[in-house]
Amino acid sequence: MGIFLLSPIAIVGIIVIALFLIVVFWYIGVMNKLRQLEVRVQEAESGIDVALTKRFDALTKMLDTTKGYAKHEAETLEKVIKWRKGIPSDATLQEKQEFSNSITEAVNGLNVVVERYPDLKANTTFINLQNSIMDAEEHLQAARRLFNANVRALNHRIVTFPQSIVAKRIGMERKDFFEAEESKRQDVKMEF
Amino acid sequence: MKEEKINKLEQLNKRRKRSTLFVVLGIASGIIAFILFASGSNIGVVPFIVGIVLVIIGFGTFSAVSHDFKNKFLKEMVDDIFEDANYYPKKGVDKNTVYRCNFLKKADRFHSEDLINGKIDGVNFQSSDLRLQERHVRHTKNGTQTYYVTYFLGRFFEFDFPKDFIGHLLVTEGRLMTSRRGLENIEMESIDFNKKFNTYSNNHHHAFYILTPHLMEAIMELERRHPGSILLCFLDNKFSLAINNHQDTFEIKMFRKIDQRLFIEMERDLLVVKEIVHELKLNRNIFK
Repeated sequence: MGIFLLSPIAIVGIIVIALFLIVVFWYIGVMNKLRQLEVRVQEAESGIDVALTKRFDALTKMLDTTKGYAKHEAETLEKVIKWRKGIPSDATLQEKQEFSNSITEAVNGLNVVVERYPDLKANTTFINLQNSIMDAEEHLQAARRLFNANVRALNHRIVTFPQSIVAKRIGMERKDFFEAEESKRQDVKMEF
Repeated sequence: MKEEKINKLEQLNKRRKRSTLFVVLGIASGIIAFILFASGSNIGVVPFIVGIVLVIIGFGTFSAVSHDFKNKFLKEMVDDIFEDANYYPKKGVDKNTVYRCNFLKKADRFHSEDLINGKIDGVNFQSSDLRLQERHVRHTKNGTQTYYVTYFLGRFFEFDFPKDFIGHLLVTEGRLMTSRRGLENIEMESIDFNKKFNTYSNNHHHAFYILTPHLMEAIMELERRHPGSILLCFLDNKFSLAINNHQDTFEIKMFRKIDQRLFIEMERDLLVVKEIVHELKLNRNIFK
């Protein structure tokens, strides 16, 4: 009943303030959501790092084992790997992709080598490492898919109006996807 | 099918027919008794008692037929289909096995039977029928009525899962019946999969690790083949599957002929276990 006692200017003022508050709360809500999604993307990227490191470690051990049977081939394959000491802390997503591709290339090359050495193929340690690298590969695929799913969700919000206004104001830009490995789309050609 | 087996089936069917006849005659006697009572005659007591006796004999005979069918034919079928498995008609899965997944709410009445356990291609499994009922209370003018509503009737399966994973992952057709308990809703990259299923997990990475594109496709295919709703749980390196198809599998019916067709249907129901193992590639234990 009390609202009828207010002057028209006061009513307009209340409506304006209410609208302003709605916009402020919406802005904060969207900003928080975008930040949360960004954190998820970062977490997923660290998942890629973990999987890549696991894969790299398994490959290094496999190459060490291979050296006992085919020294020259193992050393050639070692040279294919982008970084010899694992992922540097300041590596970009693009570089990680290249690193991943180089590991895949080395693994594929190793699969060719192993066919020529039946003793190596039957080596228990080597078989276990092969299983471990396959598991690491599955983890990497999972990390890549999760990363891309999070990037997709974030990018979707960044480009959708009116959330795009908030994204622009807080300087959030579209993220790149972690693409499928290039070497997987090509035939393996290894020369020793 | 071997001639000897066909003859045995025919014998069993004859006994089923006899049980049906007893029940039908019992019901007819009951109707006669009702008519006699309605016309004010006390002689209706005789057909009433005869009717009850006939119905009891009929159901007793049918129960024996059902027992023989399960213990002879189904057991044999299980032995033929699975290299290393056992069938227990009266046993079922343990309550804790069902509830540990937290994808089915706790029942006021829990009933499980037709347990089959063993190994397929090196994969440990168990499967059984499951009926879950919830107690309801209705207050009427005449007092309080208690009744039970079945909210799950179907099959439950549990398999070893070939990958080592951490966390808890649930995939449900429709909304989750229970509380989420720290599980978050996850959107997979497959739009079709997300449309059909809800995915909940407390570990996003492992959810993607378990649900590979192939597994998602296989789950969708499984759902297409099995009417009703399906629930999947991945926990402690086990994979559990519940299919709520409103059917009591491996039960013969009093008014249905026991013949080769029924036999083939039961065989198909048994083969579901194999189908799951192969479709979902649960026998691919390369990571262990």
